[in-house]
Amino acid sequence: MFDAHAVTIGTHGMLLINAAMLCLVGWALWKAERRLESGSDWILLLMLCVFAVSGRVLLDPIPNVQPVTIIVLLAGIHYGAPRAIALATAVTLCSNLILGHGLWSLYQAVGWSAVGVAGALLSSRLLVDGRLNIERLAMVAAASGFAFDWIVSISALHSMGSELLLPYMVAGLPFDLLHAAGNVAFAAWLANPLSEIMTKHLDTSSPMAVNDSVSSTL
Amino acid sequence: MSDIVALFALFVLITIAVGGAVEDENRLKSLSLAWVIFLLISFPTLSSEWARMTSELIDDENDSHYGLPDIWEGKQVVCFHFPDDHAPDGYDGARYHIDSDGTQFMTDSDWNHTGACIGGFSNFENGLELMDEAVTASGGDFAYNSTQYTFGLQINSIAGVNPCDASTCSDTSGAYWSLFHNGQMAMVGISDLTLKADSVITWSIETW
Repeated sequence: MFDAHAVTIGTHGMLLINAAMLCLVGWALWKAERRLESGSDWILLLMLCVFAVSGRVLLDPIPNVQPVTIIVLLAGIHYGAPRAIALATAVTLCSNLILGHGLWSLYQAVGWSAVGVAGALLSSRLLVDGRLNIERLAMVAAASGFAFDWIVSISALHSMGSELLLPYMVAGLPFDLLHAAGNVAFAAWLANPLSEIMTKHLDTSSPMAVNDSVSSTL
Repeated sequence: MSDIVALFALFVLITIAVGGAVEDENRLKSLSLAWVIFLLISFPTLSSEWARMTSELIDDENDSHYGLPDIWEGKQVVCFHFPDDHAPDGYDGARYHIDSDGTQFMTDSDWNHTGACIGGFSNFENGLELMDEAVTASGGDFAYNSTQYTFGLQINSIAGVNPCDASTCSDTSGAYWSLFHNGQMAMVGISDLTLKADSVITWSIETW
């Protein structure tokens, strides 16, 4: 009898496999997007959801480095708050079905939704003449890393006293720092191509299009 | 603390070097990649050093791991508790905490014992081996004197403190170094003690 799967793969080997799989997912989605008609915003959101879930699951071995935050932020900028919230919640639920679903899922969904709302609120400052201001986006992405982590930290109040919340958040700063740095890297490398694709599929007839006022997006 | 300062200095140097070597349009891409790689490589040092620095912020006496620092959760620890006024020099008035690499990082002055805990160890199966390693990590501050009997090892003094120095010993009363394992008095001596993954060994002076 063959034992074809009895291969021992170390942590680094597994990470390489995961990175290769993420590249494969990204490449396949990019090729599929080329065949989409312009204005297919909901299909694109679904594809972004697939990429975000894949990224979060496959990059799980790296603490707090994943593309979800920047994707939700960009969705907020381009498609407005409601769709960014839907995307954030769907990504949280789908990825947590693999990584572990529980009380924290709600706080993660709220945290990433807040990032999406921030993107919608700041869209006029981050998207100037149809082009992303990458430096500003990187700053917002870094701040979003801290904000998301602190929102999720609030879930710890279910199991400990409120007086421990601040020390708990301070103790987690190295993880926040890594999240922020990862977000800046994703912003620098992915934001422009993703923004071009999102702009291409922006349905300008939609009441939630990017140029609408913030009040209508909420 | 010095590790954090060194890491910060290295971070600034990398930022200056990478930022200066790359053209404007690719600067953020290169810098962000360098930052992530730097943080990932230095993360074990950064997180453990930060955990030591912030452990004093969390004073949870109901902690399931005997009120020890969070970074020792699931690790093995050796504690030496001394009677008031009999702690060795430098270890009086509080419970001091020394990590397995010899770094002293937290002082708990609210704890109701005086002395020190040396922890962060793992994979020790025998009590004496763990204790010897803890004594080495303390720089010999808690070196002990013992007598080998047929029934096992008896600890006579720890850090030069003999139980009868701290308590009255006579024909009808006495004192001894008592061994506790995970909060319970050990039923065997230190040389025969089988450890768990998160064992906490405590030595304190008891009287009879």
